[in-house]
Amino acid sequence: MDPRLAKTLKIIAVTLFLLWTVIPIIFLVASSFKATGDIFDLPPVGDWVGMLKLLFFFKASFTQFRNMFIEGPFFTYLGNSLLATGLSVLISVPLGLLAAYALSRGRIPGKKHFYFWVISTRMAPPVAVMVPLYVLWRSFHILQTLPGLVLAYTTFNLPFSIWLLRGFMDSIPKELEEAAYVDGRGRFRAFTDIVFPLIAPGVGATVILCSLMAWNDYLFALILGGRAAKTIPVGISELESATSILWGQIMAGGTVLIIPMIILGLVIKKFLVTGLTMGAMRG
Amino acid sequence: MAKVTIKNLYKRYGKVEAVKGINLECEDKEFLCLLGPSGCGKSSTLRMIAGLEDITSGEITIDGVRVNNIHPSKRDIAMVFETYALYPHKTVFKNMSYPLRIRKLSKSEILTRVQRAAEILEITDLMDRYPRELSGGQKQRVAIGRAIVRNPKVFLMDEPISHLDAKLRAHMRGELKHLQKELSQTFIYVTHDQLEAMSMADRIAVMNHGLLQQYDSPHNIFNQPANQFVAGFVGDPPMNFIECILTVEDGWKLKHDEFELSLEDKVQQKVQAQTPQFSGALNVTLGIRPESITIKREKTKPNEIAGQVYITEPLGSDLIVDVTVGQERLKIKTTSSFEGDRGAKVFLEMVPDKIHLFDAQTSKSLM
Ligand SMILES: Nc1ncnc2c1ncn2[C@@H]1O[C@H](COP(=O)(O)OP(=O)(O)OP(=O)(O)O)[C@@H](O)[C@H]1O
Ligand SMILES: [Mg+2]
Repeated sequence: MDPRLAKTLKIIAVTLFLLWTVIPIIFLVASSFKATGDIFDLPPVGDWVGMLKLLFFFKASFTQFRNMFIEGPFFTYLGNSLLATGLSVLISVPLGLLAAYALSRGRIPGKKHFYFWVISTRMAPPVAVMVPLYVLWRSFHILQTLPGLVLAYTTFNLPFSIWLLRGFMDSIPKELEEAAYVDGRGRFRAFTDIVFPLIAPGVGATVILCSLMAWNDYLFALILGGRAAKTIPVGISELESATSILWGQIMAGGTVLIIPMIILGLVIKKFLVTGLTMGAMRG
Repeated sequence: MAKVTIKNLYKRYGKVEAVKGINLECEDKEFLCLLGPSGCGKSSTLRMIAGLEDITSGEITIDGVRVNNIHPSKRDIAMVFETYALYPHKTVFKNMSYPLRIRKLSKSEILTRVQRAAEILEITDLMDRYPRELSGGQKQRVAIGRAIVRNPKVFLMDEPISHLDAKLRAHMRGELKHLQKELSQTFIYVTHDQLEAMSMADRIAVMNHGLLQQYDSPHNIFNQPANQFVAGFVGDPPMNFIECILTVEDGWKLKHDEFELSLEDKVQQKVQAQTPQFSGALNVTLGIRPESITIKREKTKPNEIAGQVYITEPLGSDLIVDVTVGQERLKIKTTSSFEGDRGAKVFLEMVPDKIHLFDAQTSKSLM
């Protein structure tokens, strides 16, 4: 094929894909900045200028956000979401690193079985463990508390982080640590000086994925979090009541929900420089 | 600088016995080579000295201190790995200065030491590169550099120059040997290349199948190999081996279908000393190096062996001639002035005091 034609086709394909993925997000964000009445002010079919206006040129209003955050309780929900996600990641990733190091480098009897057990806890869908967790949480009096929710997220983030980080750890040649030992470093400093920088991209990916799982969770927050630890997804679901659906606020809630993850992604992307290990070893 | 002793060293990996009872003493400031074919347990031995591998049984001391249970970082050793093991996220300068920064040396001291090592290794212009931006040979030199910036008790090197091209390898052989003398440090150097061992070592420990075959100076390893393995492993082209029968009926003689050879008095005395109660006949292996056979087109002496040229391999000033003698094939090293094509009739004479005899059963030297 003519390379110019190929390039053109590629650009068209990418553009279509972008439209497909980005337009709903633009729609979401645009709608959240509209007054309640304007949201359903749709142009007639075929009116493309009207569509553009709908997406980009409209009268901005902060009504929705004000209703949610100043008049409504969403500030608390946002706080709960951030705390539950942040704390669960802060627990899961460091502990995951330690466990992954032990599993990757240690000579532990029965290590294979232990490892399989760890990942097997992630094989069943979360709903399957909901009832037992509920009973347990109730017995420990952590039902409907923020620590309870953090712990719940940790139960599925920790195995995931162990599994993921072990994979990254295994890909780092043992000789690099050995070289650090010979150069005069003990185990811990060899880890912080050599292993950690090399798996930093993996740690970044783990942080993102664990955050996403906790941040986007609805089920655990609804059932285990309950009234006292409502998160944004739970809050959004409550905007739909028997008598009305507050679309404007739902849109605004969605916008608030995606922004932190986009920021996190952008921050971590800087550290996701892969291919560092390439070429350190022979062969 | 330090003396290293190894007593009854064993290493087992599960069912694999990699090292089966090795005893070695490496003197202070000595250049010791561990030489042997692939898989003979050289790296395992070195890694146990470094502390990177658990010792199954036995004892290692460095500078008189038993180090069996001492972490590598506390053994005061520097090591060059078979796989380079450069830190991929650090530049060449950071790689080489890492052990010095750990020891909290001053900035200027670090700079001068790294600079000096880089000059020796000719890598001064690579200081800001990352390992992934280096060729194999450059990586290997950086790995050596990271070791020689230090002043450890012992340098351990695992085939540090095996992946350089021939010319650079020849250069580095000289440089490393010079370096060892200049630093006046204990070097334990692993290689499978007999030329490296012969040219650099003060003493060579030849290993095979996890066992120490001989531990001696390069001169003695070459001239008095302890067994057939050592004799065949050291020297290039390798020693020729011919199965013969040793008899004493009418004087000490080697008998072969194609020839008969009377042993020189000196050789005979040595063999006699090794086998005091020997009488009658014994299956032996005659060993003779390619350079200890002279080759001629005309028969001039009665004890010369007739053969046929199989092929010739010119090597510049030298010429290797492969000669068929009965069922045997021998390699002879001669000068390029020799003329003789494939199939030409030739006569061989073995330099009498350059022959080696090995017990055909035990393959131990009889001399
Ligand atoms: N970690 C290990 N687990 C199991 N077997 C091993 C391990 N390391 C080495 N071996 C085995 O031990 C024996 C000796 O290995 P070693 O690496 O010491 O050989 P070597 O002399 O250094 O060989 P080479 O010249 O190929 O590097 C080999 O048979 C090898 O397969
Ligand atoms: Mg090896």
